[in-house]
Amino acid sequence: MTSVPTPLRAERAIARPRREVSIYEQQKRWGWIFLSPWLIGFFIFTFVPIVASLIFSFTDFYLTRPNEIKFVGLNNWIKLFNDPLAINALRVTFGFAILSLPVAIALPVLLASLLNSKYLIGKPFFRLLFYLPYMVPAISGIFIWQAFLNGQTGWLNRLLRLMGVVEPPNWLGHEFWIAPAMVLMGVWGVGNAMLITLATLQGVPQELYDAAKVDGADAVTAFFKVTLPMISPVIFYNLILSVIGLLQFFVVPYVLTRGTGNPNGAAYFFNMHLYRTAFLFQDMGYGATMAWFIFLIAIGLTVILFTTSRRWVYYAGGE
Amino acid sequence: MSRKALLILFLVAVIALVPALSNVKAQSRTVVTWFVGIGTGSQPAQIEVQNRAVEKFNASQNEIELKINIAASFETAYDVLATLIASGDAPDIVGPVGFLGANSFADAWLDLQPLVEKYNYDLTQFPESLVNLYRTEEGLVGIPFAVFPSLIFYNKDLFDEAELPYPPANFNEPYVLNGEEREWNWETLADLAVELTVDANGLTPNDPGFDPNQIRQFGFIQQWALLRAELTTFGGHPVYDAELGKVVLPDYWREQLRWTHDGLWKRYFIPNATYEGSELLQPSAFASGNVAMARVPLWYTCCIGDLKSNWDLAVVPSYKGQYHVPTDADTFRITKASKNPDAAFKVLMYLLGEAAPELLLTYGGYPARPDLQEAATKLRQESFPSVTNWDIVPASLEYAASPHHESFFPNFPKGIQRFADFRSQLYGDTGKTMDLEAEINKLEADLQAIVAEALR
Repeated sequence: MTSVPTPLRAERAIARPRREVSIYEQQKRWGWIFLSPWLIGFFIFTFVPIVASLIFSFTDFYLTRPNEIKFVGLNNWIKLFNDPLAINALRVTFGFAILSLPVAIALPVLLASLLNSKYLIGKPFFRLLFYLPYMVPAISGIFIWQAFLNGQTGWLNRLLRLMGVVEPPNWLGHEFWIAPAMVLMGVWGVGNAMLITLATLQGVPQELYDAAKVDGADAVTAFFKVTLPMISPVIFYNLILSVIGLLQFFVVPYVLTRGTGNPNGAAYFFNMHLYRTAFLFQDMGYGATMAWFIFLIAIGLTVILFTTSRRWVYYAGGE
Repeated sequence: MSRKALLILFLVAVIALVPALSNVKAQSRTVVTWFVGIGTGSQPAQIEVQNRAVEKFNASQNEIELKINIAASFETAYDVLATLIASGDAPDIVGPVGFLGANSFADAWLDLQPLVEKYNYDLTQFPESLVNLYRTEEGLVGIPFAVFPSLIFYNKDLFDEAELPYPPANFNEPYVLNGEEREWNWETLADLAVELTVDANGLTPNDPGFDPNQIRQFGFIQQWALLRAELTTFGGHPVYDAELGKVVLPDYWREQLRWTHDGLWKRYFIPNATYEGSELLQPSAFASGNVAMARVPLWYTCCIGDLKSNWDLAVVPSYKGQYHVPTDADTFRITKASKNPDAAFKVLMYLLGEAAPELLLTYGGYPARPDLQEAATKLRQESFPSVTNWDIVPASLEYAASPHHESFFPNFPKGIQRFADFRSQLYGDTGKTMDLEAEINKLEADLQAIVAEALR
């Protein structure tokens, strides 16, 4: 026997229709599902530690005495602004940034322009040559440079002696030369930036150069009036990454100076002070304060760069 | 549900249950974790021996499962251990660890006295002086295991080439330098080291025209040394004098620093940091064959395999008629946070007992247990046939410097770092022009501030 739907049942059926899920909704749902492993990982391993470190910065948390943690208010922040080692470390970090940023930005552009030149023979070879050092693991690279720059037996100084320099610099042992030495080492890291710049250069329309030529522009004028504006988004991208990278600069000076930051503290970067405080002295509270301080500086600089970018970065399709 | 589906479901359930069941079996044994890294123990050859010791222990009984955790390197080991402690996952046993490593985690160690009494562990087998090294305000925090007195390792071939007699093999024995019989003290060693320092033209620092930028062979090095160990060769002293309530760097430490500064920058018989990092002195200064003498603890036998020359051992020189031998001492410690101290103590007894001979050999340690000393010497004789003076090892223990060069003082990690920074300054190019006296006074003042920070 089949039951005939009563008007009430039919009404209910109309009142609660089965919800049709649109393709967009379905895709969104699956998108979240596929993203969820990363999001969960980010939440547990990044977001929670970030929040925890902010909380630690207001405590006297020591790694080896986790049960004796106390709230100390702004004490760690006050200490930071009165810590001569922190101030010196900040000075070293910014001093090095002033020296190395122009190289980190200009060199990839220069190399990419050379590799983009129609007159260069063996482009793939040179592209590989310049990119290859980027693939060398950082620690191995540092050891190689350490041997290369050694004041007594390093190849660079041997070469300089052969060229008649009687007393070549002690690159890693002198407080004046260690920063240029690290800039030199940084040259090995430009491969990636160079490749991105090269790809962008190759995308600059030929018509623009042709038009410039018709207008009487020589190669230099075309470079400054056409090439640079067209690749300015990539320069901006490299600049942001370089600034953030410099504020995180740690491995090179740490390995190079065996954690001391010497000669005379000339390689004692802010992150070395942070690492020493948090992990060698186990003062997590103060270490977290320093981490937040450098993070705020990074945010501040990034905001400034984005604000000024409106004036000098060219976006073909507008912002 | 079809049969096929049921079968698949059954298989999945079995696959899921197998690891769980095997885990139940493993967990029926008490797990004891052993952390290695904040002392020696991270070299490949040592890892192999330690793993063998673990396997042997686990095969010998069904009550405890020993798990070993070896840090990737000495440099990272401190962070790893600190993180394990902070995360509530502290290992049960840590070691081998010296005073330096242990003092960096000063209040982490369990008082072993109750366990020693409970299991009737015989402490009388050790010299009392060694047991007392481990008695602190917190109780007995360790049991003697390995000792490493400082010795003078010397390269026989370089001495033969220079036609110089070998340094003394016995305490209170004189040294004949250029036909003159002299007391074997640090001044004599300096004069001898100068004669063994040679530049690219074959000149010594005593010869006119000697080029300090082209040195090819050095006379002496305090290899892989902490500054406090170097200072202690002129006599032991606490960094913080609790009675005076302040930090004092005694005159003999200041004199030791002057001696080192002269050796580095005026008489050139000690390699500076640039030379030490150069190809000339790789893989390590003495093992390169280009350094005639090195003051280094006995554990250096672990890493001397690369030296192609013949070498032997001499006694550490005296200072003002007294011998002061900086002596490293390693052992295994149980952490306060151990969840199974009884099981950990049973493992400790195994490491200090049955496993000791093999572990001591791989660590290059000299046994604290006198009954093992003869066998240890014999093993070394077989491994290093060019060495004839092994008797120096137990004899040097008689002159162990006190207080220990790694003894605790308030704010220890920060203070140790300050000493390391000073050493880096002294040995680096900055040492050449540094105002030594002013820098020593600054070191003292900084240490005072560091200690005061902890006492506040």
